[in-house]
Amino acid sequence: MNRVRKPHLQLLLGFLIFWGAGNVSGQSSDPIDFGRQIQPILAKRCFACHGPDKAEGGLRLNQKESALSKQQSGRQAVVPQHAEQSELLRRVTSGDDGERMPPEGPPLTSAQIEMLRRWIEQGAEWKEHWAFLPPKAFAPPVVKNAAWVTNPIDAFILHKLEQAGLTPAVPADKTSLLRRVTFDLTGLPPTQKEVESFVADDSPGAYEKVVDRLLQSHHYGEQWARHWLDVVRYADTNSFERDGPKPNAWRYRDYVIRAFNSDKPYDRFVREQLAGDELPDGGSDGLIATGFYRLGQWDDEPADRLLALYDGFDDIITTTAQGFLGLTVNCARCHDHKIDPISQQDYYSLLAFFQGVTPNGNPNPNTERPIFEDESARQAYLAAVKVHQERMDNVQASISAIEKDFRERLDTQETPIHPADLDELEYRFYRDTWQKLPDFDNLKPETKGKLEKGFIDISLATRDFSFGFVFTGVLKVPADGEYTFSVDSDDGSRLTIQGQEVVLYDGIHGTGQPHVGKISLRKGRVPIRVDYFQGPTGAKDLIVKWSGPEVEQRLLSVPFESGLRVSEGKNRKKDFKNLIASKGTAILGAEVYGRYTKLLQQLDELKHDKVQAPSALCVTETGPNPPETVVLKRGNPQSHGDVVVPAFLSPLGGGVANIPKPDQSATTSGRRLALANWIASPSNRLTARVIVNRLWQHHFGRGIVRSPNNFGLLGDRPTHPELLDWLAIELMQGSNPGDAWSMKRMHKLIVMSSTYRMSSRAPKLRLNSTKATSNDNDPLSIDPLNQLFWRHDMRRLGAEEVRDSVLAVSGQLNSKMYGPGVYPKISDEVKAGQSNPGSGWGNSSVEEQSRRSVYVHVKRSLVLPILSDFDVADSDTSCAARFTTTQPTQALGMLNGEFLNEQAVQFAKRLRKEAGGDVTQQVSLAYRLALNREPDEAMLRRGLLLIEAMRTKHDLSAEKALEKFCLMTLNLNEFVYLD
Amino acid sequence: MSIPNFCGRTRREFLWQAGAGFAGTALSGMLQRDAIRASNVLASDIVAHQNPLTAKEPHFAPKAKNVIFLFMYGGPSHIDTFDYKPAMKGRDNQTIDVKTFGRGGHKNQGRIVEPRWNFHQYGQCGKWVSDLFPHLATCVDDIAFLHSMTADSPIHGSAMLMMNSGKITSGSPCLGSWVNYGLGSVNENLPGFVVMLDPSGGPISGAKNWSSGYMPATFQGTILRSKGAPIIDLNTPEGTTRAMQRELLDALNDVNSAHASTRSDNSELAARINSYELAFKMQQHAPEAVDFSQETAETQKLYGLDQPRTQDFGKRCLLARRLVERGVRFIQLYSGGNHNDANWDAHGDLEKNHNFHAGNTDQPIAGLLKDLKQRGLLKDTLVVWGGEFGRQPTAEYAMGTGRDHNAYGFTMWMAGGGIKGGVSVGTTDELGSAAVDSPFHVKRLHATILNQMGLNPNGLSYYHGGLDQKLVGVEHVEPIGEII
Repeated sequence: MNRVRKPHLQLLLGFLIFWGAGNVSGQSSDPIDFGRQIQPILAKRCFACHGPDKAEGGLRLNQKESALSKQQSGRQAVVPQHAEQSELLRRVTSGDDGERMPPEGPPLTSAQIEMLRRWIEQGAEWKEHWAFLPPKAFAPPVVKNAAWVTNPIDAFILHKLEQAGLTPAVPADKTSLLRRVTFDLTGLPPTQKEVESFVADDSPGAYEKVVDRLLQSHHYGEQWARHWLDVVRYADTNSFERDGPKPNAWRYRDYVIRAFNSDKPYDRFVREQLAGDELPDGGSDGLIATGFYRLGQWDDEPADRLLALYDGFDDIITTTAQGFLGLTVNCARCHDHKIDPISQQDYYSLLAFFQGVTPNGNPNPNTERPIFEDESARQAYLAAVKVHQERMDNVQASISAIEKDFRERLDTQETPIHPADLDELEYRFYRDTWQKLPDFDNLKPETKGKLEKGFIDISLATRDFSFGFVFTGVLKVPADGEYTFSVDSDDGSRLTIQGQEVVLYDGIHGTGQPHVGKISLRKGRVPIRVDYFQGPTGAKDLIVKWSGPEVEQRLLSVPFESGLRVSEGKNRKKDFKNLIASKGTAILGAEVYGRYTKLLQQLDELKHDKVQAPSALCVTETGPNPPETVVLKRGNPQSHGDVVVPAFLSPLGGGVANIPKPDQSATTSGRRLALANWIASPSNRLTARVIVNRLWQHHFGRGIVRSPNNFGLLGDRPTHPELLDWLAIELMQGSNPGDAWSMKRMHKLIVMSSTYRMSSRAPKLRLNSTKATSNDNDPLSIDPLNQLFWRHDMRRLGAEEVRDSVLAVSGQLNSKMYGPGVYPKISDEVKAGQSNPGSGWGNSSVEEQSRRSVYVHVKRSLVLPILSDFDVADSDTSCAARFTTTQPTQALGMLNGEFLNEQAVQFAKRLRKEAGGDVTQQVSLAYRLALNREPDEAMLRRGLLLIEAMRTKHDLSAEKALEKFCLMTLNLNEFVYLD
Repeated sequence: MSIPNFCGRTRREFLWQAGAGFAGTALSGMLQRDAIRASNVLASDIVAHQNPLTAKEPHFAPKAKNVIFLFMYGGPSHIDTFDYKPAMKGRDNQTIDVKTFGRGGHKNQGRIVEPRWNFHQYGQCGKWVSDLFPHLATCVDDIAFLHSMTADSPIHGSAMLMMNSGKITSGSPCLGSWVNYGLGSVNENLPGFVVMLDPSGGPISGAKNWSSGYMPATFQGTILRSKGAPIIDLNTPEGTTRAMQRELLDALNDVNSAHASTRSDNSELAARINSYELAFKMQQHAPEAVDFSQETAETQKLYGLDQPRTQDFGKRCLLARRLVERGVRFIQLYSGGNHNDANWDAHGDLEKNHNFHAGNTDQPIAGLLKDLKQRGLLKDTLVVWGGEFGRQPTAEYAMGTGRDHNAYGFTMWMAGGGIKGGVSVGTTDELGSAAVDSPFHVKRLHATILNQMGLNPNGLSYYHGGLDQKLVGVEHVEPIGEII
């Protein structure tokens, strides 16, 4: 292959440093690190045949016992201190093609073989992977330049620098530092006033004051929530064909913002998201937090439902394990993890914790529950519902009264189709909600009265739903014989004659399928009774007919239209409406009819403005006893293996979870709480490490472990393991129990450190130097990747920071917090890519469009171009760290896009307003606003020159020319890169 | 297979040992391509920022340099187009036992809808083609038909994702992203992965169909249009001339250069300065690429640009050829957009639907194949035709000719780029309800495309979520040897 390129000299030099990790000399007596140097070779080259999946010849090189014991062949792979007796070494060095291992691919390199040999000679220490061991309390090391140490963080950093012969960069200048810390903590640039006051403040506590102010700013929560939302793959929609909205998902986003702003202890934050509903004091935040389970993509129309169910579980497992524990447990879905000691059994034992979780649905009552901040909020809601109901009832009563009047008047004017067959008819009216007919005789009626006309009539109801009637009277039977009764009702009804049930049509249903019953009657007067109820929703109706000797299909219930053509079923209501519309004014008079239509309108409005409880998208379970969990062979849901129970990951200690038996009336199993408690426990080996690493990552541009979602063997090793452990323990212990797990305290420790406050410049930048040696301790040569933190890395703003800064600088940023997502304008050209161009993207007012990007509706299939251009996280899977790409499409959007050009206009307006008409002042202010510093002479002149050229060469007005300059300013590297 | 070495180590080991992971400022050129893990594809320089789309060496000598994927969105009916089923003749309306699975769910019985078009034999190979494609029928000797395609889902949403990204869930990079990730681009003035949509709208799931998923946005598809500005935000805003933009860029460069001069160890700053120049060049080159005035009337006629019916799709096909000439790696054209009969999704009136869409595309596609051939481009250009699935042999409803989706068996075809012409491989049963003889899963198609581009489908990987992710998945997948 022709791939081997000439290595970069600087790189190689840098390489040696890290390879040796602290022992630059690389002598043969230096101890070999099993986890870092040996295990990767075994994993990569040997595990395929001698690993978790296969054990050819009985040998498993992923197990110490197997490697260090005699196999059936009588040989031992590794004999500590005796490389010459170790079969492993003999086989990898064998000159015989039939014997040499590995049988496939190139042989091990001589360096690898040497490493194996030295490791065996040194005793073949089989040390566990660092991340699977508990964090150790390292004392901050002693350093030479103690004056540089502001807090223990600096001691850990400086110690390594001193070992490598490096000195830390000088402190950053004040404005760079202010810009850095303000962006890091709030995602926004400092205001002009903040810059001025910090520059003017010479007191020793000036910086600390700034840090305290920033940690108190509500923008802090917005910035850090966004980092967490990346990890939990937050989105407001489901992806797939409809990419439908997830109702109330935004409450989870708001919850995260509030959690950061209120400095919710991280262990509590973990517990609430995984099992807030199972916490005794979970409250509404506890419910909202479990929206965590509902954020993933979800196919409402999967090709294979069972597979989709397990894809959903996998999504939760993947996000939980990577997000909280930094482990790629997902690799063990189909087979044991190839490299990490995570078995398929581990994966499914973890799945067992989630087995009871109901699948996603939309809309689905299973995934939404009402939330109240406290009991008084609940009472207030119930009271509001009651008041609203009473208003509806009152309006309905007035409507019914007018309709009754209308019917009666109509009756006197028109002839009924037939005389009434009922006599002494009375009604009792009840109000309540039923699913089936109750025993009305045991209930207290709301009202009762007589029906003089002799027809059963439910239009007397004073509300549209949740009511019941009992009609009793005498049926006039004209002759002896068998009579047929037909009852159609919406909802349930029962017809009783002479105490005998003739028709029962109970339950919730519509009309159209009348139930029929027969009974033999004697000529004369017989008692009749009809029970009826209308459920909580839907249409209402009751039609009772009879036929028999001398009776042909006559109505016992009211012929609604009193003598006009009687239609049945669904049309009756409509016909009545038409009737009252055409004759209302004539019969009732204009005034009453006018009142009637207004009342109808009122009722409509009231129906529409239901009092809604705020709801949370949250987790629910099938009940206290989840179904059994089985290992799925090769991940195939049809292929069942062993039954497993909830158990913790074996590399982190393992053990079957001790879950109290839930009450049989409980709505959940209590399993998730057991998992949450295990993850949030101070004895968990990874939780604290993983979160402090994320804090570090977003302050320094990369984590101490560069792969924040993967602390396993395939992840990157910590560049400063002792510091990572120190930070983890510091987080868990706090300065006192009261601030254990406090994130703000950790932020402050980090940003107060000298390490954080270093300049981003290389101390001695040797331009045009052809010399590439490291004999003068040039950090750029020794450590070009800044592995050791000898300076602060520059960083480009994230997507949201770019957009929010543009708005802040132009003066348009709307600082309103919380609430449903907003929809900044997306051009038709971009929407043309949707199958229904424009669907699922709302219209927000200009003010709303100018809100911070964390509040922008996250639609999986339609991302705001400026955000996607600047590498916003893909929301389909957990995003550990964003990319920083540089592409021409970014430049096109920043130069020609509508958003930037509109903001440039606003920016120019602001300059004219705040700097007056003087161009020099305008340009100077523009730089100060955008870059937070005084411009130097050259850039000031260049800005003026641009404006001048736009005016003279291109005939632009002063306003337009200034706008062009503003656009240029918003495109500057210094605007999007922090020192 | 062996893994390329870097400094005597695999790149994975290198990064492992160097502890490099996510973008440190000096490193992002390499790392943005590789995330934590280097894959089998190499970067060349560690310290200097590098355009991740820089042309890269393939794994082995490629047969094709470019791909044109003609996406017949909605799912054309194979038995009415290229999969000749004489046994169905005269069986219209017969109720038969047949297992089907579409948007209407699983069914065990159905009413036969006889293929609605007559078939005739064409070319030296004697391929049976329906009357829907009189023009394309003249190209059959250059085409390899795959009659036994299968996919994992008969539902548009997940099936589109499968055809474009290899998975039925969203979040994975698309075929075009993989090709650009593996090979880079030879024309920095144009995007390397171009998508051209139907005027009625995008396909279901929109941008997910050209997303780079867990890869950086560098590899995502760019929408190119034949009307208006070819690329979004390509045109300067109203009232801004190119000279004014140059003026602005000069000022920007000056201030940026002064800023970078004291930070020259950060090559990202220089890269960003350069990206503005690239954008400026793109503004010049992209409109040229879509300018048909350089094409002769004869060529335009070949693509059907002279007829209102074929003009629209013809333009996209002609544009595809022009992009191939300019080195764009992966070009995807959609026939059909939006929902229902705006694409090949013939649930209602099969005849009306397929007559419409075939009529719009037949001549342009034949024109494209002929034009590529006459210019000597076909041998380097892999043309792929097909939808996300096929259609059922039976009717969807009690009345009418509409057919539901069918992922159990359907037809796609490939031409050019080292693909054998005049061959047909794989078969479906006598009704076309399912593949019976050597079924080809969508992954096989993907493997074939990568293979023709000189990329090992089982070697091209990207490290994400703890796994070496591949377009074709974890299990080994063979390209379709029968047509290579």
